[in-house]
Amino acid sequence: MKTDDLLSVLAADTVPQPTVGQRMTRALPVAFVLSGAAFLLFWGLRPDLGAALGSPAVLKTMLPALLAVLAAGLAYALAHPGLRSERRFAALGLFAAGLAAAFVALTARGGLSGLTEALVTPSLAVCLLSIPVLALPFLGAALWALSTGATLHPRWSGAVAGLMAGGASATVYSLYCDQDSALFALPAYSAAILFVGVLGALAGPRLLRW
Amino acid sequence: MRAANRGDAGAYRRLLHVITPVLRSVVRARGHALGHEGCEDVLQDVLLAIHTKRHTWIETAPLRPWLYAIARHKVVDAFRIRGQRIELSIEDFAEGFAAPQGPDPLEGRDMEKVLGALEPRAADIVRGFGLKGETTAETAARLGMSEGAVRVALHRALKTIARLRERMIE
Repeated sequence: MKTDDLLSVLAADTVPQPTVGQRMTRALPVAFVLSGAAFLLFWGLRPDLGAALGSPAVLKTMLPALLAVLAAGLAYALAHPGLRSERRFAALGLFAAGLAAAFVALTARGGLSGLTEALVTPSLAVCLLSIPVLALPFLGAALWALSTGATLHPRWSGAVAGLMAGGASATVYSLYCDQDSALFALPAYSAAILFVGVLGALAGPRLLRW
Repeated sequence: MRAANRGDAGAYRRLLHVITPVLRSVVRARGHALGHEGCEDVLQDVLLAIHTKRHTWIETAPLRPWLYAIARHKVVDAFRIRGQRIELSIEDFAEGFAAPQGPDPLEGRDMEKVLGALEPRAADIVRGFGLKGETTAETAARLGMSEGAVRVALHRALKTIARLRERMIE
């Protein structure tokens, strides 16, 4: 077929395509309902939730939620060529650096024995399993929405989608988790969220190529 | 492009005709080894990508960076699939804009292969628009379909073509 003829074909196709934003607004609420329903069925809210949300433990809920918002913004920018993503990337980097610094400071204060003491609890395995499981609906929704975009870096986009899904999932999971020590929550939540990020990075090149 | 994304086929056609010679000169400058037909195939890949991803341009942002990013990604990808690595900088596109616009009685080879793999009716619709220059109404009348159905069929066919082209290049 001649290129000129192809142009006629392309010009004739006027059916609008779904945008990343439209797909996000469609899919993320569904993911939230799915994940939330599974959470209420198999995990359930912690009994002292009200008190916990009034204490510093509320950070366990707020910080992952903030991560999810930052990562969603970056993933959106990455899916739109020509949109500058440096600032959103820097915001996410600052967030991660802040958490890392907090972790180092806390460990320095409590010592390695304090860290192992905080982490050696059956809650660790529950946390490391629950967050990735609850993240799956979010990850699926994010990748589906991003696949209509045009990312130039599928692996990075997938990883950021994973961080978003992990953050959203950790937000939900935090309403169950009764381990309020920062020395537990910071490393355990981070590891679980990073694992979801790795899942996203593995799926990205397959699902987000175009 | 703004008008095009709102469904103005005329404006979209004009845009495509403006950018095609630019893209062609960029592809040609890099793809000596592929020959004219091969270059035309790469060009058609790029045009299909621009078409299937046109909604990822944010209306308030300038169009050129978007266009260059899509084209560059797809040109590099197309050469990679054909077993040739190339480096491409944004400047190549800027230079391309000064290139003379020649006539283009140019034909790619891949498209026929892909159309052959398409469902016969879908291929027929694509050929109707491309080779015979039919309008939606004419295609609809010829095939006994509604105009809406023709539009949707064409849209789906183009998506399938964009997906198949990548897979069918050996």
